[in-house]
Amino acid sequence: MKIDSPDKLNAWKEECLQKDAKLKKKVMVCFGPGCLAAGCREIYAKFEEILAERKLGDITLESFKKTGCHGLCEKGPLVVIEPEGIFYNRVRTSQVKDIVEKTLAKGEIIERLLYKNPKTKERVLKYHDIDFYKKQTRLALRNLGHIDPDNIEDYVMRDGYQSVAKVLTGMTPEEVIDEVKLSGIRGRGGGGFPAGRKWATCRGVESDVRYVICNGDEGDPGAFMDRSIMEGDPHSVLEGMIVASYAVGARDAYIYVREEYPLAVQHLYQAIDDAKEHGFLGENIMGTDFSLDIHISRGGGAFVCGESSALMKSVAGEVGEPRAKYIHSVVKGLWDKPTVLNNVETFANIPLIMNKGGDWFRSIGTEKSTGTKAFSLVGKVENTGLIEVPMGTTLREIIYDIGGGIKDGRKFKAVQTGGPSGGCLPEDKLDLPVDFDTLTKAGSMMGSGGMIVMDDHTCMVDVAKYFLKFLVDESCGKDVPCREGLYQLHKMVVKVTEGKASEADLQLMEHLSKYIIMGSLCGLGKSGPNPFLSTVRYFRDEYLAHIIDKKCPGGVCRDLIRFEINDKCTGCTACIAPCPVDAITGEKDKIHILDQEKCTKCGACYAVCQFDAIDII
Amino acid sequence: MKIQINGRWYEAREGEMVLDVLRREGIDVPALCAHEAVEPYGACRLCMVEITHEDWGGWKGNVTSCLYPVEDKLIVQTHTEDIIELRKTVLNLLLARCPNSPEIQKLASEYGIDTTSFVPREDADNCIMCGLCTRVCTQMGFNAISVAGRGYGREIATPLKEAPPDCVGCLACVKICPTHHIQYEDIGTTREIWGRQFELVKCKQCGKALITREFADYLIENRDIPADYFDICDDCKRSGTARDFKKLVHWEEKEEAEEEVSA
Amino acid sequence: MKPEIDVAELKEIISHSPQKPSSLIAVLQDIQRKFHYLPPEAIKETSSALGVPLSQVYSVATFYSAFSLEPRGKHTCRICMGTACHIKGAPMALEQAEDQLGIKAGQTTPDLRFTLEVVNCVGACAMAPVVIIDEKYYGNVRVDKMKRYLDGVRDED
Repeated sequence: MKIDSPDKLNAWKEECLQKDAKLKKKVMVCFGPGCLAAGCREIYAKFEEILAERKLGDITLESFKKTGCHGLCEKGPLVVIEPEGIFYNRVRTSQVKDIVEKTLAKGEIIERLLYKNPKTKERVLKYHDIDFYKKQTRLALRNLGHIDPDNIEDYVMRDGYQSVAKVLTGMTPEEVIDEVKLSGIRGRGGGGFPAGRKWATCRGVESDVRYVICNGDEGDPGAFMDRSIMEGDPHSVLEGMIVASYAVGARDAYIYVREEYPLAVQHLYQAIDDAKEHGFLGENIMGTDFSLDIHISRGGGAFVCGESSALMKSVAGEVGEPRAKYIHSVVKGLWDKPTVLNNVETFANIPLIMNKGGDWFRSIGTEKSTGTKAFSLVGKVENTGLIEVPMGTTLREIIYDIGGGIKDGRKFKAVQTGGPSGGCLPEDKLDLPVDFDTLTKAGSMMGSGGMIVMDDHTCMVDVAKYFLKFLVDESCGKDVPCREGLYQLHKMVVKVTEGKASEADLQLMEHLSKYIIMGSLCGLGKSGPNPFLSTVRYFRDEYLAHIIDKKCPGGVCRDLIRFEINDKCTGCTACIAPCPVDAITGEKDKIHILDQEKCTKCGACYAVCQFDAIDII
Repeated sequence: MKIQINGRWYEAREGEMVLDVLRREGIDVPALCAHEAVEPYGACRLCMVEITHEDWGGWKGNVTSCLYPVEDKLIVQTHTEDIIELRKTVLNLLLARCPNSPEIQKLASEYGIDTTSFVPREDADNCIMCGLCTRVCTQMGFNAISVAGRGYGREIATPLKEAPPDCVGCLACVKICPTHHIQYEDIGTTREIWGRQFELVKCKQCGKALITREFADYLIENRDIPADYFDICDDCKRSGTARDFKKLVHWEEKEEAEEEVSA
Repeated sequence: MKPEIDVAELKEIISHSPQKPSSLIAVLQDIQRKFHYLPPEAIKETSSALGVPLSQVYSVATFYSAFSLEPRGKHTCRICMGTACHIKGAPMALEQAEDQLGIKAGQTTPDLRFTLEVVNCVGACAMAPVVIIDEKYYGNVRVDKMKRYLDGVRDED
């Protein structure tokens, strides 16, 4: 069925809503990355198995939906029962039968599957009442966890493709761009360039052909926002791209997505097929003379392809090597044509801006960073998950109110944002509002939205080493400062972690960093020294502890630490078996002995000891 | 148009890069990856200069002069403190990569660096990864070699590290390499390069090896060169012309003598 | 010990994409997915089918981490090196796996039994550190567990 007018779209939406209303209950099984890893496929299969054997009145297999990431990955696999919003966490396959027999058949609640508030120790029935969800504002993630991403009717029911109808039949491209400008939305991919201005520039360039590209090559280690959106709500990305293509005058658009995200690729293909079938893509969309095709370009796994000029080369099937951008890609981009490049989250916001207006969007967030931002909140935090908050929310609110604070009651040390190009911020920066400019000023950056919380058991020099290693591997290797400079900088950080560096080395590292930034060709090199610079800026003491005292305060750098068993040891023998090198000996109820010669400092004993009997010195 | 370099004004032409003007005017700015035979690339970063303009409201920036197009009234500084420090850092890094390269040693020493502050590369060779060889190979239309891998492990390689099927043994890569890293060998009538052997075309007169058969065939086919062009080497062609010329002169002398006799 | 490659099958895979240079990465991905590596024949066939110089195909094949030019092992052990996994001890798990298998990350054992890989964030940060052996996820991996998991795979064979 082709939807070629706003009326038809509304009629279809009505139809979908009625169909949905017939489902008395909906069982949402989260298929986000975290829950997939935790085994949600088996959970879903078990539901299917049981449903095949047993009739459940009104509840049929149609009531079961595989949704995108619901958010609270920490507690996966998640099963949410709508319309009530009953939130079952850490569900095991063995408990599926109970859910069917008790909750679905009789409406009984299974207490032990409910979320437990770690502070009050009380069980919480509905997810809306869990702090993690309560404090969020979900715009880009609006449909995640609520729809089946493979079902276009689910999307249409929730105002899907309304902005396409509105824009194509009632607005000029210039009006669309003005609305986007008014919203103040800045690119969510990292740099934070105003999207409206980018679109206007692209439209203003004299050219017969223009392109729109969606960057879905989220390469940051520790980030899965864009992936979750592509997997869980692919149509929202397509819809944003259709609006953008109309605004700038593109006939073809591309989504650059990692091959390593097979589910994202699969759902996007499905979404494109469905959108075509219903006339949202292809010829004469909404009965107008606007036509558009969206193509999928599968990335080969290269972080540098986050750099626009490299990404465009990759779309063209070439090596993703950046070029100097004295002419911007918005003027001369894909196949040398004017090209608008925005990331997944930016496009997912566009339909809302069109439907509700730029003024509405700018009423959320701060003056210069409007709207919300999605983050993957991970690391040593209680509630690992996918979150979205208004710009301007403080780091403290994110980490403590939504994230539930530091895991195991440990002490906060730093929060890392912006991925490998970003930086680490210390405790006294926790009250900074999260927006593009504040984070940059503090020496980190927004990036695409990875947020990694670190506790006092993290070594900041080790963190710098980790990110530099990542960048050394991911540099394309074209220019000297990035290729050779980051390699040498990494070597010197390694030297610090081994206790072999001097203060003169530290100075050389700072000097080198300055000229890597100045001399590098693209953003990867220009921000490459950030992991070092931000850690040395806020945690210089820790560097000096490695250099002068030959100590690692975080207890991580193995050349500078040793494990010792103290007199709290009860002789429980729990640590003996995990030791991979048999360095621990001892009898039951007697203090165990650790052979320093054999010990490889792997930390296995430390991890299993229940009695705090192992010290890291 | 005019651009100002280090306080003096110079003529510049539309479409030129800043480095083109610097080189034409003999202003000493090092550049290892720029060569007039190929498109600019911006990899070595040595040719960076500081630019500004009276219309830019005081904004200054550092750019690679090989890639920056000239514009009227552009103001260029080639040796600011930061630019010199950057070049030193780059040369310091290159010296760690290629500690044995005389060319790098010389350039580094011009900037006051005799030993690298960094860890020298193990098994170092003299390749600075400027990419001139692969770019000239592409420019010639052969595409025999390319960059392989990425990051610090990036290297110049033949496809699958086998003898390159598309190589014609033209030696463009050898000649353009700024550190003389690419090796080849001509033994008798055989040339070996990139692990591949080529038969050399011999001059029909003196027997000297001229060019590889593959390259000769390529030029004859694609560059509108006569099929017999490589039968005789340039030297023999020249001496052949000389002989012909001599004959002509001698013939005139003969004529004159005969005339005298008849008179 | 390189496996035999069916050239007809190779051609069939290549024919699924438009026969033009911009299809290069997609074609190589399809081949990689089928054979779990890019055999030399694949590089050559792709070059002639798409009209891309052999050197450029090789360049692309060695640039992107999705591609491997070496045959893969029967089993793949992928260790997540996302930031969350790193700070929760993934390097120890990696070291254990490297020691135990006698190879470095990115390599395959000579008997083609195991390929060891590191990946950057699989989105399962809640379970960090995460190890994926043949598509099965293992969370909160410690050194001793790593050893057990790998031993387990060996025993199954």
